Parts: sequence; C-alpha cells; structure tokens
Amino acid sequence: MVETASDISWEDVARVYGRKIYNFAYRLTGNPDDAHDLVQEVLLRVRRGLPTYRPGSFEGWLWRITRNAFLDDVRRRKRRPTTALPDELDRTGLVSSPAPDEVLASIRLGEDIQKALLDLPYDFREAVVLCDVVGLSYEEIAQAVEAPIGTVRSRIHRGRRMLRERLG
Amino acid sequence: MIHLGELLSAHLDGELSPAERDRVAEHLEECDRCRDELEELAAARAAVRSLPLVEVPAAALGLPEPVVVPLTRRKSVWAGMAAAAAAISIVVASVLAPDGTAVTPQDLSDPFGARVSLDPGFTPTKVAQVRVATGEFAE
Repeated sequence: MVETASDISWEDVARVYGRKIYNFAYRLTGNPDDAHDLVQEVLLRVRRGLPTYRPGSFEGWLWRITRNAFLDDVRRRKRRPTTALPDELDRTGLVSSPAPDEVLASIRLGEDIQKALLDLPYDFREAVVLCDVVGLSYEEIAQAVEAPIGTVRSRIHRGRRMLRERLG
Repeated sequence: MIHLGELLSAHLDGELSPAERDRVAEHLEECDRCRDELEELAAARAAVRSLPLVEVPAAALGLPEPVVVPLTRRKSVWAGMAAAAAAISIVVASVLAPDGTAVTPQDLSDPFGARVSLDPGFTPTKVAQVRVATGEFAE
C-alpha cells in the first residue's frame, strides 16, 4: 500500500506497472508504437505527479494518469488509422522454429480476439481491458475513468456481450 | 421474470454484494436463459484474459538493463559443474554441426559463457566475479 510519495519512486512504478501500462495501450490500439509512447508519457507524468500524490488508491491514481495520457495522445494524433497488427510470430520469437499446430492456432485466436476488441466502442473496450487485461477491480476502474461504479459494471457487461457476438 | 443482465458479469468478477450473490444463485437455479448468458459471458471474459501479456521494450521504461541473477547464488557445486558441462556439450555440438563450419567463442552470444565452455577452470563463480568486477551488473 503506497501511503506517501516517498514510499515509491517513478522507477518502482516503471518496474512494477510498466508492463501493464504497455499492455493497456497495446490492447486498446493494437499498435506497439502507441504503447511504447504511452509508457514513456505516463512515467513522465508519474515523475512529475508523485511529489503531490496524496494517500489514497494508488492504482486509481496511476490508471487515471494512464488513461488521461492515452486520451490526450489520441486527441493529439487525431486518431490516425489503426495500423495492422504486428506479426505475432515475430514477437514471440517463433519464426526460426516450426511452431506446433496448437501454438499457431492460439496465435490466430489471439489475433481474432484483438480484432474483436478493436471493434468495440472506446468506453466498452477500455472497461474490458482495464478489467480483464490490467486486472483492476470495478472500484479502481471507476476511479480511473471517473465514472460511477454502476456505469463501469454496465460497460464491462455490454463490452463482453459485444465481444461474444463478434467472436461467434 | 426479471433476468440478471449485468449482474452476471459482476458475478463472474466477484463484484456482487452478499444480497446480490444470493439473488443470482437463486435465479440461476431456475433460469436457462441466464445460465446460457452466463456461459457466453464467461467465454468472452476468458478470451480476453487468454491474451498474453506482451513484454514491454526496455527502452520504453528508461531503466538500466535488468540485473542478471549472479551465478554465485548457486547453492550447489554440482549445479555449477552441470552448467559448465552443459555449456561444453553445446560447444561440442556446435563444433560438430552438420554444416561443418567452425564455431569460435566469438560466435557465442555470451563471451563469458564461451570461456566457461572452453576453460574448465573458469567456473561460474569466477564468471560472476568477473561480471561484478567489470560492472556488468551491480549486486
């Protein structure tokens, strides 16, 4: 539990949360470059914001910063067209050796799930990603997106229903 | 009958109050439709949760390179010897590779690993000491 700013450094945040912040943006955009930029921007904001951090929900604070940085970035880029997904084979280092059928099948399934996620309207995609990729509680999501918990519950539910329809 | 709707997703996430939990449990016992919906929601939830956590590029974090766990932490001498033996066998296998090309220590990604493999006196402990001395990582 982070009680004061002196309990944690931005390097701690980078080590503990960097990967999740990266995955948050990666799953929201399907774009590794966007995810890379977001992590750097969030860590910069954390560094600036830590001295004024007050005890409370650190997760809520951090993910509010992350979400706002993400939305600022989206606005700045004026939502450039979503680029194609990177080749999952490259990222998993499986290029050099033949992958078993079940591995290839799981990669294809992963691509289908990512595409279905990208089809969701932003609010629903965000709620689902924060819940099922980042692993936040409804309360933490509510703090991060500055919405009532009932709204969060509804978005996660409707997001999952839409996903189910798209995944067939 | 009033169906459960979004209570089902909250149920999957363990986000219901005790009273809501009771209501959901009772309703699910008698409602096929809600049971089917619960199954579909669980599948969608599992699908997203099955996505692997992608590794974040080190450059994005702006941190020093990750610290390698020193080999000196090996508790057993035998473990160190086994590692050296394994390294030797890799080199032998490489030298005798089917394409017949010679493998030099420089071909190996870890120069210290190559040294271990070619010089039995250069133990993993020694490697760790060198790595510390050269500042390759800090304890």
